[in-house]
Amino acid sequence: MISKDLSVEFLGVHFENPFLLSSSPVDNCYEMCAKAFDEGWGGVVFKTIGPKHFKINEVSPRFDELTKEGTPFVGFKNMEQIAEHSLEENLHDLRHLKDDYPNKVVIASIMGTNEEDWETLAQLVTEAGADMIEMNLSCPQMTSHEMGSDVGTNPELVKKYCTAVKRGSNLPMMAKMTPNITDMVPAAKASMDGGADGIATINTVKSVANIDLDRKVGLPIVNGKSSISGFSGKAVKPIALRFLQQLRTAAGLEQLPISGIGGIETWQDAAEFILMGATTLQVTTSVMQYGYRIVEDMKNGLMHYMEDQHVEHLSELIGVANKNIVPAEDLDRDYKVYPKIDWDKCIGCGRCYISCFDGAHQAIKWDIKTRRPSIDTSKCVGCHLCNLVCPVGAITTGEVVMKPGTKGNPEDIQIESSRLTHPVQ
Amino acid sequence: MSTKYEKEAPSYTMTTVMEEAARCLLCHDAPCSKACPAGTDPARFIRSVRFRNLKGAAETIRENNAMGAICARVCPTEKYCELACSRTGIDCPIDIGGIQRFVTDYEEQEKMDILRKGDSNGLNIAIVGSGPAGLQTAATLLQKGYAVDIYEKNEKAGGYLRYGIPEYRLPDEIVDVEINRIVNLGAEIKYNVTIGKDVTMADHDAVVVAVGASEAKMLPMFEGNPYVETAVDFLARVKEAKGDIDNIPASAVVVGGGDVAMDVATTLKRLDVKNVTDLVYEEFDEFKASKKELDATQKAGVTIVDGYVPTDVDGNTVTFKHRHLDSEMTIKTDLIILAVGQQVNTDNLGVDTDHGEVQHAGYKTDDEKVFFTGDIAQGDKTVVWAVRKGKAVAEEIDQALLGGNK
Repeated sequence: MISKDLSVEFLGVHFENPFLLSSSPVDNCYEMCAKAFDEGWGGVVFKTIGPKHFKINEVSPRFDELTKEGTPFVGFKNMEQIAEHSLEENLHDLRHLKDDYPNKVVIASIMGTNEEDWETLAQLVTEAGADMIEMNLSCPQMTSHEMGSDVGTNPELVKKYCTAVKRGSNLPMMAKMTPNITDMVPAAKASMDGGADGIATINTVKSVANIDLDRKVGLPIVNGKSSISGFSGKAVKPIALRFLQQLRTAAGLEQLPISGIGGIETWQDAAEFILMGATTLQVTTSVMQYGYRIVEDMKNGLMHYMEDQHVEHLSELIGVANKNIVPAEDLDRDYKVYPKIDWDKCIGCGRCYISCFDGAHQAIKWDIKTRRPSIDTSKCVGCHLCNLVCPVGAITTGEVVMKPGTKGNPEDIQIESSRLTHPVQ
Repeated sequence: MSTKYEKEAPSYTMTTVMEEAARCLLCHDAPCSKACPAGTDPARFIRSVRFRNLKGAAETIRENNAMGAICARVCPTEKYCELACSRTGIDCPIDIGGIQRFVTDYEEQEKMDILRKGDSNGLNIAIVGSGPAGLQTAATLLQKGYAVDIYEKNEKAGGYLRYGIPEYRLPDEIVDVEINRIVNLGAEIKYNVTIGKDVTMADHDAVVVAVGASEAKMLPMFEGNPYVETAVDFLARVKEAKGDIDNIPASAVVVGGGDVAMDVATTLKRLDVKNVTDLVYEEFDEFKASKKELDATQKAGVTIVDGYVPTDVDGNTVTFKHRHLDSEMTIKTDLIILAVGQQVNTDNLGVDTDHGEVQHAGYKTDDEKVFFTGDIAQGDKTVVWAVRKGKAVAEEIDQALLGGNK
């Protein structure tokens, strides 16, 4: 079995691998974190610890899922707030985790209602032996508007609370950002101005996932009512990657250390976050669905990816894709590429024909007798919707042609993507 | 264009294998993984597929089983992992063999090189026979640092994999790929060698007899009959010719009801023999062939008549009687194929067998340098059991020669 060094340095702390449980229901106590460590996670961001005076009182039930066709957990909606255990219990667990797992990274997530809370909590978790602090400025389902994402959208408050945390602790600190904001850059910069060493993002996206059609109320139903709350899982991955890209390309933030969060469940997701600038990776939703064991395939798959890429350290991959994502106006619009149909693979289902007619440019002809599609290049715009809907991978990229009035050599155009081919035919 | 005889059932695509993997319940303490005679861990590799880690899936399969791509195609999974599958409680089991085939195809497509030769311990083992048990024994020993010489009486390696299982179930190319992996690990295969006749084994630190049951049994009444061919000869003849054989008969009668008989009958249909009738000693409720093979044979259009034994033959005309009923049938046919079992020949090999099997458990003989494995060892006579026995005899040799230490 392949074996490679997955270790990373993040905010001055050594991680044996970049995979962390994010601050959430999945790392709510010592036993959970210990099991996760035993199964191979590199660290935990222990479920957010709040001030003594803030009482947690959760609803029941508290989760919902978005599905599509046969796929469960396309997205996941969660009402749960921060840790419900007492401050003393949480600090005790942090201390024991660090004692029993000295080589794993224990990050304390904290959340206060005012400067004093933040400073005190920072002090307490530092004394308990945490390796790092994450400021939760982003939980969208708190029962207090002085906490969570309402704070994270206000750069002034963000800076003030970061300063308070830095007063209380000299540990490395990351500020966890909310995606419920048009532009994350001002809030991220404010946190850095306040002393944050890096950013964790994204927290969950405010959502109403499903409506019960008989009771006319969102899900989950809590005694006849429901609330907006955070949405996570695979469905939010594109939103998370977009925020990573915008942070890493903002002036002054090009080297921003990021702990990436948002829909990671496979090694491919993990590699995408790394290429977009994340150094560590935080996971919850897929753990809630499948358990801690998923880290095995994420680690092993990432090792194979490193081998394929001839990379010895993950640091060589961090942010490599950022420079290749450019404003839409900067893209080459001088050519189009026609799809190519492999007749041996085609099973004659006609899905490409339907999608091309109804969703694109009526550029696929359908032979009723042979049940075979063909491309009408006089109409085809090269959108490749047909490639995406083909269930057997029979449609790939074919001939490149320059548009009339443009210069350039079709052979120089880079269109290859492993996503447009199937690993095994 | 491959012929009907050569054509394998289609494999999964990336999309469809994910659909099948998504049906898997990802059980805790998965029953499938406890049901494989060779110790394969389907729960682990299906989970890897589900999480898009195809290389990790390939490692899980290959490190456990040097015949991974072969077992994916020929294993009667419905008796083992798929029988245990929890999904059966909802509808039907996960197609574990199919997923394994996809993963091992991917392994080959990516030219993955998973098995590693162990650091040399200076010891040299001879293996007699290059069937699945001999090959697995070689793979395990090579990984432990032994040098391995394999002695094969035929001109190609693979034993029954090569000469017995029809092309449409197990392409020759797959057998080549699997054997090449073991050759690349360092196995030396010596072809066209019969032990005791051509060479002796004195130069080796141990000898493993893995000869299998390669000789066809004959029923006395059919001896010398020009219309009669044994299943072993027929399958080898068709496979070597890739299905392109002369004088394809218009009709054929197959005698026998095991997996080999099913292969013969289905092969005949794939060669476009119009009437293929298989007469079977057992009745359906006591059938020997795997359910999958039986279903495929019936689907191919073979007429299977259960409960009949041949009582008389006159040239190309055979008379059968039912074992319990007062019923008799006489069939005139162009070709009679006997699939009534195979026997072992261990002459000059230092292993005593009775009814095709060594009459004690384990893999050792009275001679401390001579071991045995495969069909002549106790246990089932399938490829997956050959893998199990191959791994087991390699462990016994390692214990005996090095006390299990490196």
